Amino acid sequence: MYLGIDIGSSSSKAALINENKELVATDLINMGTGTKGPDETISNVLRLAKISRENIAFTVATGYGRVTFSGADSQITEISCHAKGVSFMMKGVRTIIDIGGQDAKVIKVGNDGKVKNFVMNEKCAAGTGRFLEVMARVLGCKIDELSDLADKSTTDISISSVCTVFAESEVISRLASGAAIEDVARGAHLSIAKRIVGMCSRVGYEPVIAMTGGVALNSNIVKVLSNELESSVITAPHTQAAGAIGAALFAYEKGI
Amino acid sequence: MSELKTLISQLENIALNPGKSVAKSVKDTGKEPIGCFPIYTPEEIVYAAGYLPVGMWGGKTEIKQADKYLQSFCCSIMRSNIEYGMKGTYDGLKAVIIPTFCDTLKCVCENWKTAVPQVPVITVVYPQNRLLDAGYQYLVTEFNRIKDEIEKLKGEKISSKNMEKSFSIYENYREAMRSFVKVVKDYPITINTRTRHLIIKAAYFMDKKDYTDIIIQIVNELKNSSAENFNGIRVVATGLIGEPVELLNIFVENNIAVVADDFAQESRQFRVQARNKGTAIEKMAYRIVDQKGCTFLYEEVKTKGQMLIDMVKESKAQAVVVVMMKFCDPEEFDYPIIKEEIEKADIPMLYIETDMQMDSYEQIRTRVQSFAEMLG
Repeated sequence: MYLGIDIGSSSSKAALINENKELVATDLINMGTGTKGPDETISNVLRLAKISRENIAFTVATGYGRVTFSGADSQITEISCHAKGVSFMMKGVRTIIDIGGQDAKVIKVGNDGKVKNFVMNEKCAAGTGRFLEVMARVLGCKIDELSDLADKSTTDISISSVCTVFAESEVISRLASGAAIEDVARGAHLSIAKRIVGMCSRVGYEPVIAMTGGVALNSNIVKVLSNELESSVITAPHTQAAGAIGAALFAYEKGI
Repeated sequence: MSELKTLISQLENIALNPGKSVAKSVKDTGKEPIGCFPIYTPEEIVYAAGYLPVGMWGGKTEIKQADKYLQSFCCSIMRSNIEYGMKGTYDGLKAVIIPTFCDTLKCVCENWKTAVPQVPVITVVYPQNRLLDAGYQYLVTEFNRIKDEIEKLKGEKISSKNMEKSFSIYENYREAMRSFVKVVKDYPITINTRTRHLIIKAAYFMDKKDYTDIIIQIVNELKNSSAENFNGIRVVATGLIGEPVELLNIFVENNIAVVADDFAQESRQFRVQARNKGTAIEKMAYRIVDQKGCTFLYEEVKTKGQMLIDMVKESKAQAVVVVMMKFCDPEEFDYPIIKEEIEKADIPMLYIETDMQMDSYEQIRTRVQSFAEMLG
């Protein structure tokens, strides 16, 4: 078996690939680098596959915590791993939008699943999952409720601040002046989408566009992004585990 | 080879310890130091007067006092320089020379007078239209004014003979550096990206003549050995400055070698060969007139993009790396133009933003490693 582990800033994901290059199991734990998350998700994925650590022929680590994680044979960036993982699961994908807990990436992919170009957000929470966490807190809802809320929006509201901290103040003042939380939720999604559109333009995006990462679970954002890009955006299968699956595929190639 | 290692290590240590290195150079030469701000200053005049020109390209320091003059969205090199100045690090300087190549530098010229009153400032204004004869004539006049200022500081005239001698020492330095960057691209293992930068940077803290002697020795030593078989990625780098050094360590970790550069702190200082005719000051002015592809010198039609493309071909590089100093307006204004040209030439390009006060490199590590994986 071949193990891929994606250690992010706020979650850890693991995936197993067998000798026939088939996906056997995936797991996710909402604890990222510097926590017990990586070890726990590995234990979980091994339990799911009913195997032990000794059955792992090769392990590749990816994600923010890949360099400090000592349990891998090799480490590869999440950019290469997302490209690999998504291209394995979906045919014809040319652009991948990956929005994680603390960063956002747009990756241009070739026919062979190899990275052709990429851009990352700067060291700033705007346009990332952290931005949504802050918005959910201000709106008094859970992060997974944002999508349903935004779906009920009837009026366009623009959150003009590009900085998460200033956007928080802006949202508070919008709510204070009577704006509906549904409209503000959609405004927050639009704010992320506009940043991502800018990144897509920089990298030179082309369809098919797939989205990965935790934020891809928010169907309203996927919809808003599709509108802004004027091109359909598809949520990748195993969206949060796509990087780990890519890492497991690299492990398969290196270990076999 | 051990002699080569000693020379390399000597220059690396000098670049990594500017304070100690300048103190040693002052002691060894008996010359008083004059600080020279980026991008270009007429160092030959400083040298001809018997002073030691010292480069002032910032450094990593906690910004506490500089905020009074330069906000957090200003160039971090200038913020570092003001901070060092205010906390007395530069008190040993006889004066500083500050050119006005960008909006921040223009402000710094005035800020310095009140922020660091103990170190006199000499400002130098380069012509906007240097390609016109009037621009050239103006620059000659401006350099002569700087000469007058330095003579006043010294209390004695700079002879024509000393001016010519100084210019010749600088021309020898520049010739040696052109030879150095040409030769080291065949030795990217011994002279890796970090070492290459540190060797070039050491020039800012030494007497140019002593430095040139060491560079010539390094080049000769390298030429005695065969070219290295490097299986990594060869790149051309551009930007204001290839720092912090931690960034270069990431390049080395990922087997990426800078085989040619367009850094303002590095090759732009020495890539132009002077004309033969005229006085030293006239030749100095022509060197600025003849400089091409520099963000800080106006060009009606930007030549930088094509220049980088040519550099990639000549040095057999695979890609261009743009090291963007945050809030460096001139370099940022040029970026979209060069990006379009380089992309059109189908040359992969990596864009990295840096500043002098960086202490977290994880995101940059991901970018650089991904780029290496993409090209590998």
